[in-house]
This record gives sequence, C-alpha cells and structure tokens, in this order.
Amino acid sequence: MKSAALAIVILLGGLLTYVSLDFPSWGDPAAPASRHVSPRYIEKTLTETSVPNIVTAVLADYRGYDTMFETIVIFAAAVACLILLRVFRRMQARQVMYRHTPSGITLIFAEGAVLPPESNVFERIDLDWVPQSVVIKTACRLIVPFSQIFALYVIAHGHHSPGGGFQGGVILGASVILFALSHTLRNTIARFSEKLAVGLCVLGVFIYAGTGLVCLRPGSNYLDYSALAPLLRLDPVAARSMGILIVEIGVGIAVMAVMIHLYINIASAGRHDEGV
Amino acid sequence: MNELITIIWLGGLLFFTGGSIGILRFPDFYARLHPAGKLDTAGQFLALSAVALYVLQDLSLHTFLTAAKLILIVIFVYITGPTATHAIVDAGVRAVIEPWVQPERRT
Repeated sequence: MKSAALAIVILLGGLLTYVSLDFPSWGDPAAPASRHVSPRYIEKTLTETSVPNIVTAVLADYRGYDTMFETIVIFAAAVACLILLRVFRRMQARQVMYRHTPSGITLIFAEGAVLPPESNVFERIDLDWVPQSVVIKTACRLIVPFSQIFALYVIAHGHHSPGGGFQGGVILGASVILFALSHTLRNTIARFSEKLAVGLCVLGVFIYAGTGLVCLRPGSNYLDYSALAPLLRLDPVAARSMGILIVEIGVGIAVMAVMIHLYINIASAGRHDEGV
Repeated sequence: MNELITIIWLGGLLFFTGGSIGILRFPDFYARLHPAGKLDTAGQFLALSAVALYVLQDLSLHTFLTAAKLILIVIFVYITGPTATHAIVDAGVRAVIEPWVQPERRT
C-alpha cells in the first residue's frame, strides 16, 4: 500500500514537473498573463480611478464582484461557526468559582447554587484559565490602542500603500483577540458582545453590497462607483476612488467582526463563558 | 559620523550574535529565554538607532519622520519583546517545566 502511494506521488510529482516546463519564464512580457489585461490596468488605472495603488484598484473596482463574494465567503465562515459551535442552551452543569475580593477567599458554587449578584465584592474566576500576570495585562492594554490606530491607517491608506480592508480588519480583530488573551474572555465579551459581532459582520457585507446597489442607476452597472459622483458631489474619477474607500471600510468591519466572532466561539467551545 | 554609525551597528550585531549563541547553547527552557528576550531587545535598539542616525545625516522633514518611525519601532519592541518572554516563562511554569540544576548539586 505504501509503495503504491509512493508510486502515485512520484508519478504525479513528475507529471507536475513536466507540465511546469511549459510555463512561460519568470517575468516574461510575452506571457499570456502579461499581455491580456495587465497593460491596460497599468496604463489606465491612475487616469480612470485616481488610485495610485493598482492592486487596490483592481481588487475593489475592476474586480469588485470577486472581492464582494470574498467578503461573503468570510461572512459565511462566521455563520457556519455560529451554527456548528454555538451552544444556545443555558449550561449551568459545571461548578462556578467566585473570589471574595476583600478577604481573598475563593468560593466554589456547586451545581444549581444561587450565584451572587454582579458587584465589585465578588469576582468570578475561571475554572481552567489562570489570568495572566499584571505585566502582560498592562503591556497588552498599552499595545491594543496603537495597533487599532495602525489598523485604521491600513484601511484608510489602502489606496496609496499596501493594505486595505482585509489586512486592516485582521489587525483590528487581532487587537481585540490580544485583549481577550491577556484578560479573560468574559471581559472581552462584556466589551464586544456577540450581538455586536454578528451585527458588524452583517453591516460590513451590507455596506459593500449596498454601495453596489446605490450605484445601480440608469446607465451604470452594479458596483460602478462612478455613478456615485452626483451623491458625493465629486467628478466620476474621484468618485471611483471614494467608492473603493467605502467598500474597503465595509470589508474591514466585516473581517474584524468575523475574526473576533471565530475566536470567541472556538476559544470557549461555543459556550461563551470562559476561554482558553 | 559614519564611523560612529558603523560602531553602533556592529554593537547591535554583537548583541544579536550573542543572543543566537545563547539560544543554542544554554541548557534549558528558562535559560534560553534569557538571551532570546534581552539580547534581541538590546540588539534591535542599537541596530535601529544606527539606521535612524544614518537616515538623519541629511536633515529634512522626510528623514526626520523616517527616523521617528524607527524610534517608535524600537519603543514598541522594548515594550512587547520582554513582555512576550515573560508570557512564555509564565506558560513554562504553568506547564510544570523543571528548571535546570547543575548535575553535581542535584540531590
């Protein structure tokens, strides 16, 4: 069996290597990929969309459909995670621990016991998760706002430098995940609730698709941002640039919310009570 | 000026080299984190300040901004690098990794 698998692997590898000989050489200007639409993008992007970063223009303007459905795929990932992992029943099966802060005594509440009300006197502590030391908490608190500002910069500056909605959204999500790792999951959910996460997923996709719908007026196609010119009081070329920005903001919101949502669901196995 | 920059840069490289040798040669988990956390932080401080000084040689707003960004990187790595090492040591303690003791003193 093993030798058969090895033979198949060698055969396939040899076949792939043989086929790769037919590829055009690296950076060949006569290659089909370089002759088809690339020269047009390189020559016309700046005059048509006033976006210096050609990659962003291709991503969000010329191939806007592709990116919209990518955003929808990410949204579908969030929905799948919600359906597969989320436990909707109120689970009180496990025991719960509280710390009485003034005396430092840890109280263990058995199954079905009456829990103390939310106050500063009793602090709920996790069964499995030991909180990080104060050094890590402080450093993460210091880093999180800077990384969020950097993420906003990456989203807003996608026209001029590498970046855009996906990257900025991931950095925004990572900053909240960093907070969740250094503090507790309940702390994070208190600041970024499940409703907010799911709502922002939907809002991000809605901004993208809605921008396309607003463009849909006589004489212009879906996601043709130049139709936004009368609404934004800009000329059509600048309107395409602004349309890309609006769409990138939508992508950023969706990606951020999906990242946080996936993290919370996976870390707590869908129970949303305590994390890794 | 260029000599000074070269000396600072070589100092940074010295710290990086020491850190790499330390990571390879120290006996156990906790001891290896010591060069990983300290020498890399010191090395990147010296190396990036050398780059910042090199950029600042012809002073203008543009080069000043570049140097300021480099210094910001230094500051952030100063905050995050040792914190990451601290977190890794914490994780090691939680995973009950025993520290290394000299063989003849082991009882």
